[in-house]
Amino acid sequence: MGGVEPLPGSFRDPSGSVYQFEGRIFRTVNHCFSQDFDFVTSTGLFQKLATEGLLLPFEIVSSDVLGLSDPKPRYVLEAPRLPLISYPYEWSFPALKAAALLHLRIQLKSLEVGVTLSDASAYNIQFQGIQPVFIDHLSFRRYQSGELWNGHRQFCEQFLNPLLLRAFFGIAHNAWYRGTQEGITTGEIRKLLKWRHCWKWNVLTHVVLQDLFQNTSTKRTKSLQDHSLARASLPLSSFKAMLEKMFHWISHLTPLNKGESTWGDYDRTCSYSSTEIQSKKQFILEFSQKVQPTLVWDLGCNTGEYSEAALEGGARNVVGFDFDQGALDGSYHRSAERRLSFQALFMDAANPSPSQGWNGHERESLQSRVSADAVLALALVHHLAIARNIPLGQVVSWLIRLAPQGVIEFVPKNDPMVQELLSLRQDIFPDYTAEHFMALLKEKAVIIKNETVSKSGRMLVWFKRM
Amino acid sequence: MRHLASFLAISITLIVFGFESSALAYLDPGTGSMVLQLLLGGIAGAVVILKLYWRRFVGLFRGNAREESERSPSEDQK
Repeated sequence: MGGVEPLPGSFRDPSGSVYQFEGRIFRTVNHCFSQDFDFVTSTGLFQKLATEGLLLPFEIVSSDVLGLSDPKPRYVLEAPRLPLISYPYEWSFPALKAAALLHLRIQLKSLEVGVTLSDASAYNIQFQGIQPVFIDHLSFRRYQSGELWNGHRQFCEQFLNPLLLRAFFGIAHNAWYRGTQEGITTGEIRKLLKWRHCWKWNVLTHVVLQDLFQNTSTKRTKSLQDHSLARASLPLSSFKAMLEKMFHWISHLTPLNKGESTWGDYDRTCSYSSTEIQSKKQFILEFSQKVQPTLVWDLGCNTGEYSEAALEGGARNVVGFDFDQGALDGSYHRSAERRLSFQALFMDAANPSPSQGWNGHERESLQSRVSADAVLALALVHHLAIARNIPLGQVVSWLIRLAPQGVIEFVPKNDPMVQELLSLRQDIFPDYTAEHFMALLKEKAVIIKNETVSKSGRMLVWFKRM
Repeated sequence: MRHLASFLAISITLIVFGFESSALAYLDPGTGSMVLQLLLGGIAGAVVILKLYWRRFVGLFRGNAREESERSPSEDQK
């Protein structure tokens, strides 16, 4: 074949592949797909969607740039590199919803110019801050009059059903989605439904009937497949109406919250006074002003208050992580209201996204996807060291490996939050002291600044890796 | 209209398919979606036709009968 190898996750679509070469991102267009690609280009759709910020822009570059010769691609496209590639099992409910609506919007706009999308993979969408953007330029192809919505089943599995899980039952999609990687099947979501859900028209059709039709395979169904489905057609007006109704339905879905969020109200319920919060923000602001990081990871970001302080100080992008759905929803709304370059993802710090999928590398682990210039770990260490029994030395080593510099908060045992963690269990953590923490940190990093920011003795430490 | 459509959908489902199911579904993972779209397309088409005739029917009682009758048959067929 010659030249560079495609990315491990880029193997499903015969139309082309994605390559990373010298830090740049390329997408090849194979000869078998060039007619469709030329047609879509001629409609001006790519340009229109990119101008509106719905599609990642691209440029056609020399087809020799990757050194591919057998077969040589018809075109090679270069697209801007995004700060972070994230997966739908890391997105919050509002982020998945925004991605679903983007997909439907693009499908509708495409039909206006005689183009359709060949699939409905949620992995075709990425985020810039909280703005979803479509990244797969090879999903667009010529629409054939009367054809069905090919991506409907996949759309339901990868967008609709995960959203319904939270909207109907208050269960977040993340763990389930990470397990399957392909979303939640319609059969699975149907098994959870109660009668009160089934009488709603959208649920009846897109969940109940779809699953019923899928599972029904008598001889009559076989006959239907042989005859009717082979000639199946859907009028364009019905296709559009289906998309518009789906858009309307999804845009009104909200999480069913049963007051289960521990951290969504953290800003109000934490053991900090307002003066102490200001001191903490000032510390982060100063750190960010001095370091000017391109990408900050804010581990245990809650609703993003300190991520925002880092951005104010000059950080270009902040990616927050939390495992609490209320905190993630709050982060999304903060980012939306204030138009921040801040995206919060679902992650349990003790169990981050692994490398998985086909051959173990279709979806890469979080740490191998991107490296941050700076890390914030505020009020996180005690959750790992005490609530999860991870040795303090391992927690410190892990944080220092994540980024060359950062700010770590140490919360002492006498703080009310740590006391709460220890209230129903034996204290088996004699080494959990500020002195031991500092000694561990100094083994691998230089302390630039440290400051006590609360009456209970919470301490912020600005470190730089040796 | 939604209730009518729900009723139609359920009736068609029960009449055509019954409640039998088997493991043959894996042959075509998109069958459920395809049949559903045929049904939705059919209902949408039926609704358009019903609306068209309903308007004409209502029009008869709103004094448009003369206007209707003055149209040539060929125009009606357009």
